[in-house]
Amino acid sequence: MTTTTAAPATLSTALTTPRVSALRQLPLLLRWQARRMASALPLLVLVQILLSVATVIGYGLLVGQPAPAEALYLATGAPTVSLVMVGLVMTPQLVVQSRTEGSADWMRTLPVPRELFLAADLLVWTLIALPGVVLGVLAGVLRFHVHLAPSWWLLPTALVVSLTAAAVGYAMAWLLPGTIAQLMSQVLVFVVLLFSPVSFPADRMPVWLQHAHHWLPIEPMAEAVRAGLAPGSFTVPGRSVAVLLTWCVVCVAGAAFALRRRA
Amino acid sequence: MDAVLEVHGLRKRFVRRGHVVQANAGVDLRVAPGQVVGLLGHNGAGKTTLVNQVVGLTRPDSGTVRVCGADAVARPDLARRLVSVQAQANVPITGLTPARAVELVGRIRGARPAVARHRTSELLESLDLMPWARTPAEKVSGGVARLTAFAMTAVAPGRLVVLDEPTNDVDPVRRRLLWAQIRRLADEGSGVLLVTHNVREAERVVDRLVVLDQGRVLADETPAAITARRGGTLTLELDLAPGRHPMTPDGLVLVDRGRLRATAAVPAAHAAAAVQWASDELAAGRLERYALAPASLEDVYVELVGEGSGDGAAASAAGAADEATEVAA
Repeated sequence: MTTTTAAPATLSTALTTPRVSALRQLPLLLRWQARRMASALPLLVLVQILLSVATVIGYGLLVGQPAPAEALYLATGAPTVSLVMVGLVMTPQLVVQSRTEGSADWMRTLPVPRELFLAADLLVWTLIALPGVVLGVLAGVLRFHVHLAPSWWLLPTALVVSLTAAAVGYAMAWLLPGTIAQLMSQVLVFVVLLFSPVSFPADRMPVWLQHAHHWLPIEPMAEAVRAGLAPGSFTVPGRSVAVLLTWCVVCVAGAAFALRRRA
Repeated sequence: MDAVLEVHGLRKRFVRRGHVVQANAGVDLRVAPGQVVGLLGHNGAGKTTLVNQVVGLTRPDSGTVRVCGADAVARPDLARRLVSVQAQANVPITGLTPARAVELVGRIRGARPAVARHRTSELLESLDLMPWARTPAEKVSGGVARLTAFAMTAVAPGRLVVLDEPTNDVDPVRRRLLWAQIRRLADEGSGVLLVTHNVREAERVVDRLVVLDQGRVLADETPAAITARRGGTLTLELDLAPGRHPMTPDGLVLVDRGRLRATAAVPAAHAAAAVQWASDELAAGRLERYALAPASLEDVYVELVGEGSGDGAAASAAGAADEATEVAA
């Protein structure tokens, strides 16, 4: 057996045992993620913008020249759709990809708190969604001639919506087999786009679906974003805030559990 | 000296497509600081499962894993601070360059910026990777990617460094540089657990070898002690002359290896006589070449593992079934 010799300065100082602060690790993880996605980044942002704007214009084609109330629904629903899409579609796709290529498991061998991976990913994806959200709102204003007065709490609301949706996508991608996770995300898109009271009022849906949406996070998400964009026309019921925050906490805990889980 | 890794009675089984696979069936293992311990075993012997349990990606069914005395099963976060891992599959780092990836991992692992930068250039120079240091990762060869993955593991090494097949795809010249760096990690205080198939090269670097087969430890000794199992027998390797048959003396049994090659086991005491016979045959033109070699670790390894594993899947499935009843009981 070889005996331990005194290590030269560089290696011995590099030998790690101390806990590294999460505040120092988060920007480093963000840099890692951003660089890894750098080549796809412009395309991802562009797709988000197109999706967001197309939601407004596409719905416009469906309904023709809507009444002012309907127009306001369409214009204020679009940003929710794009935030939810990033979380439910892009998140699972990217997580499934990094699991398949093996980088996800290796990253998990690093001395990084599991929640930090979640935080870094969510921040990157929210930033990717942001230009689309803003341009979607602008497209709505121009297309439907509505007046919006965004309030300061739109930003935290958008973060909570994004966080909740991405946590659902994250947990799904870690707990389900890859193909099932991707299939699930496709189904959810369909439900969010067509069968959720995001771009139209809830009373157009069958009663049973209205009841279901009382307990699901999508309607509260839409209500919160709407009220943030046009506080004069919409309010968020306290119950919706409670439902949304509960979903947010449960989903983030679920995603953290999924990341901590050992085979 | 306190061990950096102490594994005791480790058992883990999986159910895959209805089959119970006993990946680890009571593994005991110890790595001391300053040691390179080679973990040998063919595909499916349970090596990667073992590694995954050390860093808390997989939870053992029973047994203990201690890293520098800390319970790695109860505190995987602590284990991850103490262990750095090079995974068997290359980690894709598209979008990054080798230099940037290595430095960034060093800093994520807690090295100060200046130290991470210095260590990065030191490693890239030692591994002769400077020509690719600033090349986008998607443009480098498999060997360079493999060495980059090693550097990512060694830039801020843990007290325990786990390397899973570090030499795969690496060219012979850089492989020597890599072995030197692996040895250096141990010489400077880390314990190294080296998972490999490359028996021949590992022999020169490791302090101890652990042979794993079907989730069990078959041998845990120095390379010399393992080869000594052959009891001082040497191998005479012969290249036969086409159409000529050597005249074999009594006691020398030639085993035909095909394509005009043959070998014979020679007890050490008869080595001189065997060499004399072979040079006579060479002079007579019945042999083209001969060599007398000590039994290689590879030969012993194949013997050791070959006996146990029989014909792969069937044998291990049966083994797994036995294990399952044992566990249930």
